[in-house]
Amino acid sequence: MGIQEVQSQNGTSAYQKKKKTGRAEGFQESLLQNLKNRDQEKQSNTAAETEAKQAVIGTQISAKAKAEKVGMGRIGAVPDIRVNAAATQEALQAVEVRHMSYEDSDHVRIAVMEGYTLKGKREEGADARVYVEAKYEDGRMEAYQVEMAKVPEQTEHRIEQFALETMKEGV
Amino acid sequence: MEQEWSYLVEEYRAMLYRIAFSNMKNRADAEDAVQEAFLRYMKDEKPIQNKEHEKAWLIRTTIHICLDILKSGWYQRTVPWNESFENATKNIYLPYQVRDDETLEAVLQLPVHYRNPIYLFYYEDYSIHEIAGILNEKEGTIKTRLRRGREEVKKILTEGRP
Repeated sequence: MGIQEVQSQNGTSAYQKKKKTGRAEGFQESLLQNLKNRDQEKQSNTAAETEAKQAVIGTQISAKAKAEKVGMGRIGAVPDIRVNAAATQEALQAVEVRHMSYEDSDHVRIAVMEGYTLKGKREEGADARVYVEAKYEDGRMEAYQVEMAKVPEQTEHRIEQFALETMKEGV
Repeated sequence: MEQEWSYLVEEYRAMLYRIAFSNMKNRADAEDAVQEAFLRYMKDEKPIQNKEHEKAWLIRTTIHICLDILKSGWYQRTVPWNESFENATKNIYLPYQVRDDETLEAVLQLPVHYRNPIYLFYYEDYSIHEIAGILNEKEGTIKTRLRRGREEVKKILTEGRP
């Protein structure tokens, strides 16, 4: 008897009707809330991303400027002695590897901890030039001819520093 | 023939001694190993193709002799007269000036599979290809040993342990 009384005309219970309406309202509310949140999140993410991008660009620019000043390259396993275009233009010129022995070299640097060796030899001739050969742990070999007249005394470039040392060795 | 051999001894003696010393760590055993290598070269009938092959053969044989001595029962039962590492570098007369004796001492303390590739690469100026031929290993193996050996050298120098 009790059950019959609470049922409406179309046969759906009042409880069920209420429940259904409540669900739909709740869903709508949460959907709206979610959309709102997502918009806010997007806005904050965009702001953060822009900030991060600017920071990265700033770091890259300063690193690039620093690298060019020091004469460091940005590629390779041994960044300290890799040569970039800025440094090469001036005093350094990449040349063919001669496979010079330690005995024939005027100056040798063995850098076990950094994974490379350098050999230097003063070149014969009117201009002061030094031939520098670099051998890396991964098997690569590179050679440079350094024009000493163009090397600043206070250079921070490893190859140029080594060339200066090679010159002093013979004095 | 005698002249040829004396020329050979003159040319390679110093280098082979350094390699032997880096393995044996004492002068007497290093000299024994080098002598044995020359004796084997003179006795053996081997097809030596060129000078590079000859050099590689002598280095390989010297290293094998050193390893055989180190593994021998007699050597294991005796206490070798090891030079201290501070003096060890003074027994290696390199044909150039080494400014960093500390690193060389650390290299001499490495296990044999790291020590020989590192010593040959940095101090005797061999290429990875040549070292692979001398030690009968793949080039990739030598590269890996050079990298790991370098990390071990760092550990020895910073933490004081091999």
